[in-house]
Amino acid sequence: MAGQPDLRRVDLVAMLAQLTDRSTNQPERIGSMELAWLVHLVEQRYDRQLDLTDDQLAEIRTVDDALVVFETALAAAADG
Amino acid sequence: MNGNPSSRDSNATDPDWVDGFLFTGKPADVCLRLPDPVDRGTLHRLVTEAQTRLSAAGLRRGGAVALRLPPSLAYVVNLLATWRSGAQAILLDHRLTDHEADRALRRLTPQVVVAPVRTGGAALRVFVDVTEGFTPYGDHPATSDHAVIQLSSGSTGPSKIIGRTAADLIAEVRRYTQLDGVPLPGERLILLPSMVHVLGLVGGLLYGLHAGVELVPPQRLSGAAVLDAIGAAGSPATVLGVPFHIGLLAATQPDRPLPMFRRMITGGELVSAATARSFTDRFGVPLGNMYGMTEVGVIGTDLYGEHRPRIVPAPGVDVREVAGELRVSCPASPYLGHTDPSRWSAGWLHTRDAGTVDPDSGLVTIRGRLDSQVSVGGMKVDLTEVENTVAELPGVAAAVVVWDDGITAYVQTVGTLAEETLDQQLAERLAGYKRPRTLRLLDQLPRTTTGKLVRSVDMLRTAGTS
Repeated sequence: MAGQPDLRRVDLVAMLAQLTDRSTNQPERIGSMELAWLVHLVEQRYDRQLDLTDDQLAEIRTVDDALVVFETALAAAADG
Repeated sequence: MNGNPSSRDSNATDPDWVDGFLFTGKPADVCLRLPDPVDRGTLHRLVTEAQTRLSAAGLRRGGAVALRLPPSLAYVVNLLATWRSGAQAILLDHRLTDHEADRALRRLTPQVVVAPVRTGGAALRVFVDVTEGFTPYGDHPATSDHAVIQLSSGSTGPSKIIGRTAADLIAEVRRYTQLDGVPLPGERLILLPSMVHVLGLVGGLLYGLHAGVELVPPQRLSGAAVLDAIGAAGSPATVLGVPFHIGLLAATQPDRPLPMFRRMITGGELVSAATARSFTDRFGVPLGNMYGMTEVGVIGTDLYGEHRPRIVPAPGVDVREVAGELRVSCPASPYLGHTDPSRWSAGWLHTRDAGTVDPDSGLVTIRGRLDSQVSVGGMKVDLTEVENTVAELPGVAAAVVVWDDGITAYVQTVGTLAEETLDQQLAERLAGYKRPRTLRLLDQLPRTTTGKLVRSVDMLRTAGTS
């Protein structure tokens, strides 16, 4: 992620707001559609494909869960 | 319906319609690109082999097979093999929980259940690599002569289990062939909706096989992958999806011209004029709209986006308005068992969609639901089903589930029920797309002076934040 800001929770919340057209009160829980949307935008922002498995995605229930998984995947991509 | 299937088509136990109607092209014609091409000859061979495995697992002609598979080649093969065996296919969305699937299996008594024993591939795959297993379930014949059984959310009662005959499916495919704006033989359909549900099943798989249209699921669920699929060949490409997929595409900048991109068609729910405009501005192709229901398939279309938000009834489909509700011609009840006369009566399906039919043009305007059904990414969810499930959980005294920019549950608890516990219990009982995005646990739900639960979103919000 050299030269790019770290991914923060507030970034994910802003991305979800684009999907729902709702700027505040984003629900903490996210479903598969929101998750696909977040992956799409995170990949665009960092211009790389996240190397994720279905098992990893299945563990994601909340925005905080998603942040942890994305940070791990981005770090792995940077190391790789 | 209003097509002209031969008399044998109406018999679900007669397997001839698979070869006679779906496998009509040349064996070398490619029907699927995953992305490796699968031609009709190969697909036919795989189907024949699957018939042997289904038979070995206990399937007999006139029986039923429950397919609990994600969108995959295994799903396509076993669906066609079931029909070609003269059996009924029960389609269970792979996202259903064991609790939901077991309830359906007990009611529908398949002879065999087909489910993954291994899935592979990266995340967000539109088509999944599946190795399937065959489990004998029972020895009862199918509960009806329908070729396919689908569950609609809210299926706690018999009227929400939907059956369609082979003749009905054939008639719907023929409706597609009469529409101006669908992909033509030799063209490609970039397929995003699940083939377990009516749009992807009939508008995608069955129409594609019958018409000789290549079905191309993108490599994964992302805007870039959809654009890659479009640009992977020079033949004209139509994208079939739901409104969520428009957002994915609109958020992606194409890195090359896509002159083969012909059109995007979405079903599931209405698209706003602003969304449609931003899509057509970006890609320079029409954004078409379809209106349909699991019970009857496609009802009307606006494939050039020229009547938005109105649609033109599909050929052979009659739509009328009765007391503000749209009703659609449907000669036989699509429901298994007892039919609720408020859902179907005298050859008409009561859609529970509010709407109007212009007496001069015949154009239909849909104005939203008259009941508690909502759309989550194109998937229909009945809030009553969610509410009943929440209310039946231990530690819950009462629950109200509403749509507030997402499924939101207000729960009156008994004792010390933790939100995490409630969430975990719901995860065991409801498929992910049906689960509340927001849970609000309250000591007391707001009630009217007569003790009824209040359903006003504003009042619930106030109670939830006080």
